[in-house]
Amino acid sequence: MESFFSRYRNLIVLLAALLLQVIGLAVQVRRPVAVAAAIAGGPAVHISRDGSGVLLIRLWAASLVTPFERAIHGAGDGMGSLWSNYVDLRHTKDQNKELQQTIDRLRLEQAELREDALQGQRLQAMLKFRESYAYQTVPAQVIGTSGSSVSRLIYIDKGSADGLAPDMAVITSDGIAGKVRDVFPHTAQVLLINDQTSGAGVILEKTRIRGILRGNAGGQPQVINILADGRIQPGEHVLTAGGDQIFPRGLPVGAVEKVLRDPDRGSFIEVVIKPAADLQHLDEVLVITSLEPQLSPQQQTDLATSEELKGAEVAADAERKKAAAEMAERLPGLKDPNAPVTPPVIGPDGQPVVPPPVAPKPLQALHPDRFSPGGAQGATSSGSDSGAAADTPETPADGTGTPKAAAPKAQPKPQSAKPGTTTTAPKSAPKPPQTGRVQ
Amino acid sequence: MPTLIPDYRRDLEIRRYPLYIYVLVPLAAVVLQAWLPRLLGRFAYMDLPLLVAIYFALNRRSPIHGTLLGALLGLAQDGLTQGAIGIHGIANTVCGFLAASVGIRIVVENNAIRMVMNFALTLLSSAIMMGVIRGLLGLAWHSSWLDELFRAAGNGLIGLVLFPALDRTQIRD
Repeated sequence: MESFFSRYRNLIVLLAALLLQVIGLAVQVRRPVAVAAAIAGGPAVHISRDGSGVLLIRLWAASLVTPFERAIHGAGDGMGSLWSNYVDLRHTKDQNKELQQTIDRLRLEQAELREDALQGQRLQAMLKFRESYAYQTVPAQVIGTSGSSVSRLIYIDKGSADGLAPDMAVITSDGIAGKVRDVFPHTAQVLLINDQTSGAGVILEKTRIRGILRGNAGGQPQVINILADGRIQPGEHVLTAGGDQIFPRGLPVGAVEKVLRDPDRGSFIEVVIKPAADLQHLDEVLVITSLEPQLSPQQQTDLATSEELKGAEVAADAERKKAAAEMAERLPGLKDPNAPVTPPVIGPDGQPVVPPPVAPKPLQALHPDRFSPGGAQGATSSGSDSGAAADTPETPADGTGTPKAAAPKAQPKPQSAKPGTTTTAPKSAPKPPQTGRVQ
Repeated sequence: MPTLIPDYRRDLEIRRYPLYIYVLVPLAAVVLQAWLPRLLGRFAYMDLPLLVAIYFALNRRSPIHGTLLGALLGLAQDGLTQGAIGIHGIANTVCGFLAASVGIRIVVENNAIRMVMNFALTLLSSAIMMGVIRGLLGLAWHSSWLDELFRAAGNGLIGLVLFPALDRTQIRD
């Protein structure tokens, strides 16, 4: 037995190392937790959280690496100034190369100043954006990445000591960048929006189509779970939908770059997005620590004024609606809700006959004249006959009894067409004089 | 293949390094692997921890040493990602073991052989990661194989510079 272990100890160690890691993987594989309200109107987003053991390994790795990354990041300026001082010392010793070295030094300084100016502009833009932004934010510097091709993740120099917590939105002045994942005391992981495991609720600005944003294999964010729609065109802006409880609503995400058909589901498309934020070269970011609005006094005054105006407008609108309702009650309806339902009439060809549109029946005029509907004859004839004439279709002079073609079709056929019956005025209309005219 | 088979003792000797090299070089590899993509962006086609694991496994000629160093560096890489712990760990463990096993049997002083080994083992590492992600974790693997080829080529080229530089740090009798 001893010779077995000594002979195969290499393989045994390999298998033991692999077995331990596979067991570790198996422990980590858990059923993902569905966040039902993640995307309003869309499918649920599945997330998983690390256990304490896994988080400990991440803490060790981050604690091991991030101090060096922070030191490298902070030493950049120091190295630059050290190099400048070295050039200065050389400058004092060698008079013959004074001009050339001065030029070199100036070039270096120019490069430094240019870099500082660029950084100053970026910070100024970030500050301006932050001041105009209503939510509470914490600025942070990017100090490193995951270093793995399967993970689009960055490290920032702010952690739980600065008020950061998991699932906080990370943005730039150009657009959203990602969300905070694991938080350590002085550093934090930020999962970028172009990672394949990320997820954010977004909406297309013009077409108002909602979807889920996540990264693809090429590191580009794309909107998935969208049915094929020809209205989606390249260049359309994409905004956050606000239903995922992470990103506030309306933040810029990017613009549509191209639309691809989903290879797995033919009726769905994938909308590839050109992100608004430069995810490959992030330097400074803002972490939204609270979604509670942080308004300046001027903004609060404006908001109160807006609320007052809005309240008055709502009251006026309610008053108008009430008046319209009262008016609608007083006016007669165009259709009698109590009228019996007539069965459809079948034509000689077996097809149902569509009745001609019925125009509203005009009310009986109290004093009809030649301008009153159907009152042309009555106006020209004797006044005692005018009331019945208004309710009786015009008949040709030959006395055939069929209405003239010029007569409005909408007028219902009067019951007086039957012999022995008299015409009656509508109940709602004033009762005309009973002429007892019989056709 | 006469030139590939170690036929004299010098080729089979176990290279030894100062202790601080064992500590600083893997640490620097992990730190640089996490920091350089900030400068290079998406063109950071390299896997420095894997390179370091391969180097020490080849030169120590100890499969156990290569296995454990590969596992340690891989787990450190996993700790910096948001994925499951063990993806890089398993891949680097196997690569470290294979590199040491190959180092026992063939001469690995030749730069061309080192480059081919780095290229092949980096591709193998990608394949193992794909197997772990798809097979064990049941997740989708969306990486582009063209990127993996570039990464393997990058590792091969970096190895041409890194390995001779690390050779200078070994303890000579």
